[in-house]
Amino acid sequence: MIGNYQNETEIKKKGGLVGSENLLVSLFRNKKSRAGLIVFVIFAFIGIVGPFLAPYSASYTGGANFQPPTNAHLLGTDYIGHDVLSWFLVGTGVSLYVGLTVALISVAIGSIVGLASGYYGGIVDSALMRVVDILLILPGFPLLVILSAYLPPTNTTTILILAILSWPFMSRVIRSQVLTLKERPFIKAAVLSGMSGSKIIFKEIFKHVMPLIAINTVYLMVAAIVAQAGLAFFGLGDLNSVNWGTSLYWAQTEDAVIYNAWWWIVPPGISIAVLGIAANLFGSGLTEVSGEKAGEI
Amino acid sequence: MITKRYLITRSIYAIATTFVAIVINFLLPRLTPGNPAVTALATTYHYLPPGKLKLLESQFGLTNAPLYVQFETYFWNLLHGNLGFSFHYYPETVTQVIAQHLPWTLFLLGTATLISSFLGVVIGRITGWMSGTKGETTLSSIFIALTSLPYFWFAIILQLVLAVDLVINGFRFFPINGSYSVFVTPGVNLPFIISALRHSLLPLISIVVTAFPGFALTMRNTMVNLNKEDYITMAKAKGLRESHIVKKYAARNAVLPVSTHIVLAFGYIVAGAFFVEIVFGYQGIGYVLYEAVTSQDFPLTDGIFLVITLTVIIANFAADLLYAYLDPRVQLR
Repeated sequence: MIGNYQNETEIKKKGGLVGSENLLVSLFRNKKSRAGLIVFVIFAFIGIVGPFLAPYSASYTGGANFQPPTNAHLLGTDYIGHDVLSWFLVGTGVSLYVGLTVALISVAIGSIVGLASGYYGGIVDSALMRVVDILLILPGFPLLVILSAYLPPTNTTTILILAILSWPFMSRVIRSQVLTLKERPFIKAAVLSGMSGSKIIFKEIFKHVMPLIAINTVYLMVAAIVAQAGLAFFGLGDLNSVNWGTSLYWAQTEDAVIYNAWWWIVPPGISIAVLGIAANLFGSGLTEVSGEKAGEI
Repeated sequence: MITKRYLITRSIYAIATTFVAIVINFLLPRLTPGNPAVTALATTYHYLPPGKLKLLESQFGLTNAPLYVQFETYFWNLLHGNLGFSFHYYPETVTQVIAQHLPWTLFLLGTATLISSFLGVVIGRITGWMSGTKGETTLSSIFIALTSLPYFWFAIILQLVLAVDLVINGFRFFPINGSYSVFVTPGVNLPFIISALRHSLLPLISIVVTAFPGFALTMRNTMVNLNKEDYITMAKAKGLRESHIVKKYAARNAVLPVSTHIVLAFGYIVAGAFFVEIVFGYQGIGYVLYEAVTSQDFPLTDGIFLVITLTVIIANFAADLLYAYLDPRVQLR
């Protein structure tokens, strides 16, 4: 539900496919996807070692309030003297963790639904796709807000809510890809040779939808990071957790704008934007490499 | 021409989705761990005043009656526009609060959607036709970057740069927040209208700038694909003027996919408007939802959820019909 919108006709178009084994290699050869991958690696690095690099602890409040960047505080301080750089370094990991977990869960659900729906067709397909249709019509954000308002405010809750609401669009994409694959001779041959349905799905079809799954994982991760930040901005979810969203929430509620504290506002937003651009680069690189179109955010 | 079959399927979807939304709204306060009436009271009281608890429970419709009886009462109240009392704005009812603030959001949403779809179509038409040139590639990259910006973050930056910092000779070009100046009286009078318009400028710009690049990119991509169509080649071979081909042949067909995109993006624009309202303290429904959520005003949260969901469902339904009318082929899918 969060994430991308693209007409399905464009997704159905396809060129040459590559096997999943050399996909990584060709992704690295392509300029665009390489740039995207490098950005992801840098953020992953910050996310993992960030807490150890942080000059202060996240709970440190010894700095002066709203202090512009200095040598002691490279990104200044916030309303009660937290070190903004340390908050950023600690928060990156949390934001990425939320985004990645949401992406993995919803990609798992979306892939299973899409594969089953596309391959088996019939009543399985109609039942699953009716659910998808309704979830796609329901506006995502109000639903996110109301669910988060009633459920206990923890990061786990946020992850689960986002994951449950994020898979429908990608299941549609996978389904339409499976539908076209089913008409290809090699799948027909596999059916004739008596292979079981699950075997065909995992041995033959899966590697051909792999590029789509990869693109969707990346888009869903960025979308989930934005959605989590948005929820935090609404005062929902775990506000004691240190992440990009809560940084912006406190900046908003504590009037960072009035104090002209740009050093507090800029880092999380720029990071989200850079991740978004990286996802787009990765996506269009992957499109060039694999001939699969999965759409922009 | 809209076929009967299409009209019926689309109506069934709209009704089914509405029903799902109503059921979610009904079940959430009843199924979540803990009693929402207790939670709501706990934010203001350290002990539970029994009278207030009973009152709240009855407002939530939390009785010991079986679930289907509760649903009956709930649905009956809903049909009569009775959504209970707001805690935060007590003694106003939820319906009154929503009715007061919805016009502000509708104005913001309507204007922003119109401007950004117009800009998207016009700019996408130009970039689509000059695709491959250096200027176009740069512009498209900028658009991709803009679509990646979180709405609320962009709004904060605009507020910082254009409202707080942009003061020349003591004249502030854009007000920092609020929906109209405290010196005017709300009503149909010129000073109020001017003040309200001035206060809505930055919120509008925030939504438009983050929304239109997505439309422009879709328009561009469709134009590029259409450029390879036979009838465009034919038009070129006939020696028609370039501008004529773009306007009468390519752009006309490209508008259809873009309109789907705009409809699909409507839900995102709604969310965007909510954030922008919070940033600028603009008294629309999004700002009220924020207040409702942060003050644990459950009846108001529920009511706003329902109203917004219904609005989006109706907008989607109308767009489906309009789209089918414009392009009869979609009804065959």
